[in-house]
Amino acid sequence: MYEWDFSAVLDNSDLLWQGLVGTLTITGTALAFGLPLGLLLALSRLSPSRWLAWPAGFVIEFFRTTPPLVQLFWFFFALPILMDIQMTPFLAAAITFSIQSSAFFAEVFRAGIVSIERGQWEAARAIGMQRPQAMRRIILPQAVKRMIPAFTERSIELMKTTTLVATVSYADLLYQANELAQKTFRPIEVFTVTALIYFVVIFGLSLCVQGIERRLAVSGDSTVR
Amino acid sequence: MDYVWDFGSVYEYRAALWVGLINTLRIFGICLFAGLSLGLAMGLARYSIRRWLRWPAACFIEFFRNTPVLVQIFWFYFAFPILAPFEISALMAAALGITLNSAAFSAEIFRGGIQSIDPGQWEAGRAIGMRYREIMARIILPQAVRRMMPALTNRGIEIFKMTTLASAIAYADLLHQARLIASVNFNPIEAYTVVALAFFVILYPIVRVTYVLERRMAKGD
Repeated sequence: MYEWDFSAVLDNSDLLWQGLVGTLTITGTALAFGLPLGLLLALSRLSPSRWLAWPAGFVIEFFRTTPPLVQLFWFFFALPILMDIQMTPFLAAAITFSIQSSAFFAEVFRAGIVSIERGQWEAARAIGMQRPQAMRRIILPQAVKRMIPAFTERSIELMKTTTLVATVSYADLLYQANELAQKTFRPIEVFTVTALIYFVVIFGLSLCVQGIERRLAVSGDSTVR
Repeated sequence: MDYVWDFGSVYEYRAALWVGLINTLRIFGICLFAGLSLGLAMGLARYSIRRWLRWPAACFIEFFRNTPVLVQIFWFYFAFPILAPFEISALMAAALGITLNSAAFSAEIFRGGIQSIDPGQWEAGRAIGMRYREIMARIILPQAVRRMMPALTNRGIEIFKMTTLASAIAYADLLHQARLIASVNFNPIEAYTVVALAFFVILYPIVRVTYVLERRMAKGD
């Protein structure tokens, strides 16, 4: 029988905390850049002019259908050769997850905008609003409310995807766990505790999402997925 | 940007990439089959009237949905071999992680699909003397599976993308082979670009199919 011994994990818990901070930092950075970029992509894809809609559509489809790990390796190993920049694991991860999540956020934005009834557009035009004005003042405020559950779900998905940065040795939670497991020869305890930390954080967020969804359902707004 | 692209150096090693593609397809096949089967079992258990079936299934589903799949793969590769009485290969560890993760996600698809079927169908089945199992197999599932097709195809696409994580524990999949080629030839740009394009070319037609399915679904029932 295997003897479980968590003391090695507890003694080094500060390492895991640093890792969790690293995970949250990269998730936050990707969200900060991914959301505006996603809105931009969605608006371009919905634009009536083809030379805006097609490239945006291609970027969205390409980043949605290729594995994030391939994208990360491309930005980490290939981009610095093309662009003469000092590539760090953090920079590569920030670029990858900003663009990757923006492709998914773009689809959330698009679904939300498309879900608003045509009558809203027509009403805006009837009182003399231009398309950008109608989008900003009438459509988006209504659409965003409907999109909140899909957004939070996507953000949780993003947090789970950030574990990939461990493979290019950015010090996120998984990377720190791997280091600790090798140092203490206690992989079972270390990886079990790590999985539990992820579970507590992510399950907690999921519960919040469910709460928000229920509240939105009560207020009578259908939610877009 | 005066970089000279040279795909010849990748083409020279096409045999290695071919091996990688076969390995990627192998792990994808295993995970798709095992993940969906286990997902159906878990979905049914989650929907069961028996508490001792419903609760463990719910715990399984919530745990594997709410932890990153790479953490699961690492657990099976680095931690599980100490507990298990047998050898664990990289393929086995990666397949276990991806399968259990996909099972948890597809269980929710199956559950949603089954619950979306009108209760009248159950009552009709019972009225003509069918048992729970018969109703499920002959009436509910055939209708539910049709409704679930877009979601299940999306899950399949996700699984295919997830297989690249196996390269993190040195399973010789397409991405791992590309990494080898890049480190031998110093041509990461070409190697990774080829792999990215390969995934896009394989998956994009399937993505189009899901769009068609979704549109047909919106028009139909």
